[in-house]
Amino acid sequence: MDHQTIVRIHNLQKKYGKKEVLKGINLEISSGQIIGYIGPNGAGKSTTVKILCGLITDFGGEIEIFGQELRNHILEIKKQVGYIPENAVLYESLTAMEFMEFIGEMRGLDREQTRSKAEALMAIFEMKSNINQRISTFSKGMRQKVLICSGLLHNPDLIFMDEPLSGLDANSVIMVKEMLIHLAREGKTIFYSSHLMDVVEKISDRIILIDQGMVIADGSFAELNKLSNDANLEKMFTRLTGNTNHEEKAEAFINAFEK
Amino acid sequence: MIRFILLLFKPFRRFIEKMGADYNQFTRILELKLTLDNRRVKGLTKKPQNDQQNMLVKQSLTQIFFGSFFGIFLILVKLPFTFFYFSHTFLMVMMAMTIISEFTTVLFDTTENVIIQPLPIKGNTINLARNAHVFIYLTLMAFNLSVVSIVIAMVKFGFVAGLIFVFTIFLNVLFTLFLANILYLGILQLASGEQLKNLLMYFQIVVAILFMAGYQFGMGMVDKSNIMNMVLPVNWYTFLVPPAFFSGFIEGLSSTNFDPNHLIFIAEALFVPFAAIYLTGKYLTPLFNQKLMDLEQGDRNAKVKIETSHISLWYRLMAMIFVHDKDEKASFHLMWKMTGRERLFKQTILPSFGYIIIMILVPFFSKPDRINKMAESDQYLFILYAFMFIGVTLPAALLIGGNKHTAWIFKSLPMQSPAGFFKGTIKAAFAKFFIPFYCLLAIGVCSFRGIKVLPDIFIAFLVIYLSSLLIYYFQNPVFPFASEKSATQAGGTIFKIFGIFALAAAFGFLHKFLLHWHDYSNLLLIPFYGGIIWYINRILVYKQITWRRVDRVNTY
Repeated sequence: MDHQTIVRIHNLQKKYGKKEVLKGINLEISSGQIIGYIGPNGAGKSTTVKILCGLITDFGGEIEIFGQELRNHILEIKKQVGYIPENAVLYESLTAMEFMEFIGEMRGLDREQTRSKAEALMAIFEMKSNINQRISTFSKGMRQKVLICSGLLHNPDLIFMDEPLSGLDANSVIMVKEMLIHLAREGKTIFYSSHLMDVVEKISDRIILIDQGMVIADGSFAELNKLSNDANLEKMFTRLTGNTNHEEKAEAFINAFEK
Repeated sequence: MIRFILLLFKPFRRFIEKMGADYNQFTRILELKLTLDNRRVKGLTKKPQNDQQNMLVKQSLTQIFFGSFFGIFLILVKLPFTFFYFSHTFLMVMMAMTIISEFTTVLFDTTENVIIQPLPIKGNTINLARNAHVFIYLTLMAFNLSVVSIVIAMVKFGFVAGLIFVFTIFLNVLFTLFLANILYLGILQLASGEQLKNLLMYFQIVVAILFMAGYQFGMGMVDKSNIMNMVLPVNWYTFLVPPAFFSGFIEGLSSTNFDPNHLIFIAEALFVPFAAIYLTGKYLTPLFNQKLMDLEQGDRNAKVKIETSHISLWYRLMAMIFVHDKDEKASFHLMWKMTGRERLFKQTILPSFGYIIIMILVPFFSKPDRINKMAESDQYLFILYAFMFIGVTLPAALLIGGNKHTAWIFKSLPMQSPAGFFKGTIKAAFAKFFIPFYCLLAIGVCSFRGIKVLPDIFIAFLVIYLSSLLIYYFQNPVFPFASEKSATQAGGTIFKIFGIFALAAAFGFLHKFLLHWHDYSNLLLIPFYGGIIWYINRILVYKQITWRRVDRVNTY
C-alpha cells in the first residue's frame, strides 16, 4: 500500500483570549495509519481535533488536508472527514434512526442508503433492536455507539475521534479496537485522542504526545521505547509530562482528610 | 448587588425556616442562581456581563413605558377603591401571564437535578429558593409597571396612600406567585412520569385561559356606565376577588376607615398571601422534588416506546409546498419531528393558543349580536390578523431547549451556509403548528362569509408567514432548542407580544383600506407580499444567517 501524506499541520496555534492553548504544532500524517493522540488534561488535544474538523475556524498556522488548504476548502474536506466527539450531547427526543437519517441527509446521502447503512452499523454494535427508540432512553455507552455509527455513515477517509472509548463496556472497547484496525487496513486514516494508555499502546501505528500545547514525543511505540526504555506507555507518559511523584501526591491527598 | 438582595430576605428568616427550609442552604442556592444569571455567557463573546445588565435596563424601560399607558388611563378614575382595584387586577394578570409563559420553565428546571439531588438539602429548600428567585424578577417587573401609577396615586390620594400602595404591590406579587404555585403543584399531585410531562403542558393552556377569563370577569365587575365616575360596587362576591382585598386594604388604612367592609379587606390582604405560602410549603411541596426527578427521568422508567417511521399525508403535502432545496428538506424533516416532542417548545407555544381563544374569541362571541355583525362587516379581518400571535411566538419558542451541546453536529457537517437549515426549521414549525389551526379558522370564517373572502384569508396568511420568517431570521441564530431560558430575559416577552399586536393592526388596516378602496384592489396585496416573501427566502436569509453570525452565538 502506498502511503501518501493526507494531513499536514504547520505551526498550528490557538489562543483563547490571552491563554495560548496550542503553541505551534507541526505534524504530517499519512494514510492508513492509526494515530494515538495523547496528553494530560488541558494539553490541547480536543482543541486540535476540533480545529482539524472545522469546528473551530479561528486559528493560527497552516493546515492541509487531502492536499487542500483547510481554511479555503472546508466544505470539500468536511465531506470526506468523520468526527466522533467525546461524550457529545445528541438530540434526546429523536430516535437513533431519525438522528442518523438526518445526519445522512445533511451529508447528501439518500434516505434508503442511510437507513441500510445505519442498520448495518447498529447491528454490529448489537443495537439493532434499539434503533427506533428515543436517545433519551439510552445509556452512556449506547449514546457513544450512536455517535460512532453516525460519524461513519458517509464512509469517510479520515476519521477524527475524541475519546471514542469513553463509556463503553469491555466488549465494546474490544470491538471498537478491532473496527479501528480493520478501517486502517482499508486505507482509512484514524486520528484519535485517548486517556487509555494500554489501548493506545496496542493499536496505534504512531503515538503523538502533547503537553502544554506542544508535541513532546512522536513515533511508534517501538521507536519511542528505543529512546527511553520505559516499560510501558503509561510510565513514559508520566515521565515526559513531568509527574513522577505520584505516590507522594497520593499520600498528600489522603493526609488532607486526616487533619 | 447580590449581597444586598440576599440581605432583604434576612428579616424573613424565621418564616422561611418555619416552612421547612434550611435558611443557609436557601440563601446559598439563591446566591448561586443570581450569580449564574449575572454570568450567563453565550459562546466565547467578551461582553457577557454588560449585556445582561443592559438587557435588564432595557427591559425595565419597556416595562415602565408600557405601565405608563395604563397609568394614564387611571387618571380618569376618581375613586381610590376603583383606582387601586384596576391597578392590582392589571398587575396580577401581567404577572400571571409572565409566570405561565416564562417562569414555569425556571420553576420546573430539571437541568440542575444532577447537581442538586445528591446533596443533603432539607425538604422544602429548593422549591422555596426557586420561588424566591422568580419572586425577585417579578417584583422588579411589578414595580416597573407601577411606577407611573404610584406617582399618580400619590398626587391624587396623598403620599400615605401611595406608600401603602407600594406595600400592597409586594403582597400582590407574593399572592400571584403562590396562586400559580398552588395550581401547578396541584397538578403535580395528580400524575407522574411521562404522563405528568404531557399533562403539565396542556395544563398551561388551561391556566392561561383561567387567568384571562378572571381578568375579563374582574374588569367587567366595574360599573363603567359613567366613564368619568367608574365605580366598583361592593357585593358579597367582591370579597372573593383578590385585587379587591388589596384595594380595600389601601383605602381602609389611608382614610383610617375601619368599618366592617374595610376590616374584612384588610384581614384578607394580610392573611391570604401568607396563608397561601404557608399551605403550599406545608402540604404541596413535599412531593415536589421527587416529581421533578420524574420530569427528567420519566422516560427511562416508563415502557420504552418504539417510534414508527410513518410519514403522514399532511407532512408530505406541507413538504411539497414549503421545501424545495435539499438542505432545507433534511432540517424540515428533523424539525417536524422535534417540534412535536420537545417539551419546552410545546410549553412555550401552547399557552399562546389559550390567549388567542380568550383575548379574541370569547369577547367576540360572548355577545351574540356580534356574530350577526360579523356576517356583514369586515370584522373577520380582525380575527384573521389576531392569529399572527401564534405565528410570531414560534421563532422565540424554537430557541429554547435542553440541547445546548448539539451545535457540533451542524458545524461538523459540510454545509456551505447554515441558512438552508434555518429556513427548513422555521418552515417546519410554521407548517406544523400554525397552518392546521389557520385552516380551521378559515373554514369557520368561510361558513359565515362565504368563499368570496378566501383572498382575504390568503392575504392575512401571507402577512403572518412573512412576519414569522422575518422575526426568525433577525433573532439570534442559535441552533434549535439549544438556548437556555434565563430568568433575566423572561420579563420582556410579554411586551414584545403587544408590539406585535400593533404590527398586526397596521397590516390589518392596510388590508381593510384596500378592501374598501376599490373592487378587488385588495388582490394587489397578494403579489406584493408574495414578492417580499420570495425576496426574504431567496436573498435576505442568505445575507442574514451566515456562519459568522451563527458562530458568535453557539458553542461547539
